[in-house]
Amino acid sequence: MDRRTFLQASLGAGLIGASGGLAAPAIAQGAAKKTLKFVPQANLANFDPIWGTQYVVRNAAALVWDTLYGVDEKLQPQRQMIESEEVSDDGLVWTFKLRSGMKFHDGEPVTAKDAVASMVRWSARDPMGLMIRGVQNEIVAVDDLTFRWSLKKPYPKMLLALGKNNAPCSFVMPERIAKTDPFTQIKEYVGSGPMKFMAKEWVPGAIAVFEKFGDYKSREEPSSWLAGSKRMMLDRIEWVIMPDPATALAALQNGEIDWWENPISDLVPVLQGAADVAVDIADPLGNVGAFRMNHLFPPFDKVEVRKAVLTAMNQEDYMRAIVGSDDALWKPMPGFFTPGTQFYTEQGGDILKMKNLDAAKKLLEKAGYDGTPVSCVVAQDQPITKAQGDVTADLLRRMGMTVDFVATDWGTVGARRASKKPPKEGGWNMFHTWHAGADCLSPAGYNALRANGEKAWFGWPSSPKTEEGITAWFEAADLEAEKAALAKTNAAAVDDVVYGVTGFFLSYQAWRKNVTGVRKGPLPFFWDVTKEA
Amino acid sequence: MTSIVFRRVLSTIPVMGVVALFVFSLLYIAPGDPAAVIAGDQASPEDVERIRQGLGLDRPYLVRFFEWLLQILRGDLGVSIFTNLPVTTMIAQRVEPTLSLMIVTLIIAVGVAVPMGVVAAWKADTWIDRSAMGFAVFGFSTPVFVVGYLIAYLFALKLGWFPVQGYVPIARGVGPWLHSLILPSVTLALVYIALIARITRAAMLDVLSQDYIRTAKAKGVGQRQILFVHGLKNAAVPIVTVIGIGVALLIGGAVVTESVFAIPGLGRLIVDAILRRDYPVIQGVVLLFSFVYVLVNLGVDLVYTFVDPRIRY
Repeated sequence: MDRRTFLQASLGAGLIGASGGLAAPAIAQGAAKKTLKFVPQANLANFDPIWGTQYVVRNAAALVWDTLYGVDEKLQPQRQMIESEEVSDDGLVWTFKLRSGMKFHDGEPVTAKDAVASMVRWSARDPMGLMIRGVQNEIVAVDDLTFRWSLKKPYPKMLLALGKNNAPCSFVMPERIAKTDPFTQIKEYVGSGPMKFMAKEWVPGAIAVFEKFGDYKSREEPSSWLAGSKRMMLDRIEWVIMPDPATALAALQNGEIDWWENPISDLVPVLQGAADVAVDIADPLGNVGAFRMNHLFPPFDKVEVRKAVLTAMNQEDYMRAIVGSDDALWKPMPGFFTPGTQFYTEQGGDILKMKNLDAAKKLLEKAGYDGTPVSCVVAQDQPITKAQGDVTADLLRRMGMTVDFVATDWGTVGARRASKKPPKEGGWNMFHTWHAGADCLSPAGYNALRANGEKAWFGWPSSPKTEEGITAWFEAADLEAEKAALAKTNAAAVDDVVYGVTGFFLSYQAWRKNVTGVRKGPLPFFWDVTKEA
Repeated sequence: MTSIVFRRVLSTIPVMGVVALFVFSLLYIAPGDPAAVIAGDQASPEDVERIRQGLGLDRPYLVRFFEWLLQILRGDLGVSIFTNLPVTTMIAQRVEPTLSLMIVTLIIAVGVAVPMGVVAAWKADTWIDRSAMGFAVFGFSTPVFVVGYLIAYLFALKLGWFPVQGYVPIARGVGPWLHSLILPSVTLALVYIALIARITRAAMLDVLSQDYIRTAKAKGVGQRQILFVHGLKNAAVPIVTVIGIGVALLIGGAVVTESVFAIPGLGRLIVDAILRRDYPVIQGVVLLFSFVYVLVNLGVDLVYTFVDPRIRY
């Protein structure tokens, strides 16, 4: 074969391939109608909702695994996999009965043994679960559908613990999977939820696929967040990972994706102007901006210095740095609990309204601040932490503090914040983060508020009064007692500056208008979502 | 020739060993902790520590290095800390898009840049030459992501000719595959075109001033034959060299292009892995890239012997 013949043959083969390719049906029309393409907030890099507690894992897990209880829009836990429960008069023995007929995705029935093994694994990782373990006698399966959890001391928040949407949720897995060590990742993704995880199609960082589970036994009650009916109107959901917001924006405008969980605020005006795109608040419970000060080392080991920062700060500066000029997206927050919810209180929060730089400088002087550098570790790859870090660095400098601004990435912050070494030896004085408002509704799952010293969250604050208030809430018998406990908690936590709240902010979600049923909530709920062709 | 190839392939082994040691050590001393990322923002310090122990990240450097080295020698790149999937599986999932992107980019770049450089040299100091070199400067100086956004806006959003993002595997047909690759490949090719066109022009200018070209012209040889047979063949060595060097440029450019066009390739895989500190994945992909680069250099050396018979190894 000479060169010319070879080239002609190659060209011919290419054309044949191309024409064959063009004729090949990529996706059948009928299937396309029921497939929803969703861009989640982050990459689904692992899929064990107990081992890894990132929100994105929790959100995907809610499709695949069901929970014993689920909180509804009123933030009340409702029965989900549970048919009925009984609690003994002394509050020490809880007996739970599962609904009959529920199946796992491998066709096996859901039994009490599965629930028990799942609760054992969950309770080893969840803060409320650990509290239950602390007062637990035993948890045992009584029969195929019944299990009993007996305690040494009453735990009034049992149903909330089993139904809350804070990660890790009490997802029920088959016993063989749930017996995996809670600090080791599971290898099978078999749930009893409304969608099956298509592990073979999973390309971490690119796509995760879920397909409808035909044998899912939905509840009959109306759907409400994690409670009630979970009817799936879609056959297939594809989570498409898009690292670049501008690409996601263009793809949504072009109809290549259907739903974008968290468009960045800079791009929202473009989406609001697009004819075929709907935009609305994603989660009414929003987010709480935060900076943590390290209570172990100077200068923030002194409460006067911590108070000086609160006295000087203006939450509006932080919020505008995060959300821009859209006033509908933020609120000042002179407290620790999510605004607009039942436990929100401003008790003791006046210091967060002062915005008084001169008073702050006097406090610093009184505290004897000697120019010790503040090692402020700021993740530059997270827009929220970067924005807050820039505002704080400017604030501290204006107060007259020396700032060692450590610009780094979130992976480094995650490691460094765990260090209890002095800042000069690789520790830190300050880092920024944020919490989902759903995590800040009450002390249930609100790790950041704990102030039990060495056992507390990063920064290791010690505030006995805050801890007393939290304990009183867990033991409270009624709503009034709960509110009173949390008002005291709030005042104590502000007074000891457990951490710095920078404000409350919301974010948007966006979807194509041919998609209906999208709701506001702390996680994307896919049940009842439909898509027109 | 076979013995040359064999010796060169053997010589890649110590190179890969050095790369392995370097990558492992670099990751060891780099700040960051995958356990903290896995545990999530609400995790307690104790949880993070338990996960770190579970992953074996608390063990001494040498123990971890030699374990990993033994694994590599067995052909096992390990398991991703995050996904629990074998690194080889993750790489296999991502090879096709990146390879496709690089091949199409290379075809576009060479197909445009070489004729452009030849014509620019032929028409040196005319408006054609200046336009070509102006285009090359534009290609060099415009960041890949800017070009990507601009052409996606024009050809995908406004004209609707191509998709904004995504990759269609070749198994679904050459047409859809090519359709999904045109915009990212053109984006990535731009800088490559600039590089090759400039080198081609310079090499051709040198060759075209040689006596044998003048002799060819005097003998009445046609312009096309002078340029593409006598000229280009003799200017090929630097051009082939720069194409080889450019593969490294392509790998770097692929990282950005894959992000802009949401292509699930190796570039995105390694960026994600770096951000999460997924050490086995980073090590595996860097080793692969190094191996590919060594192979490309070997290929370039072999091509030299075809384009210039005077070169012998």
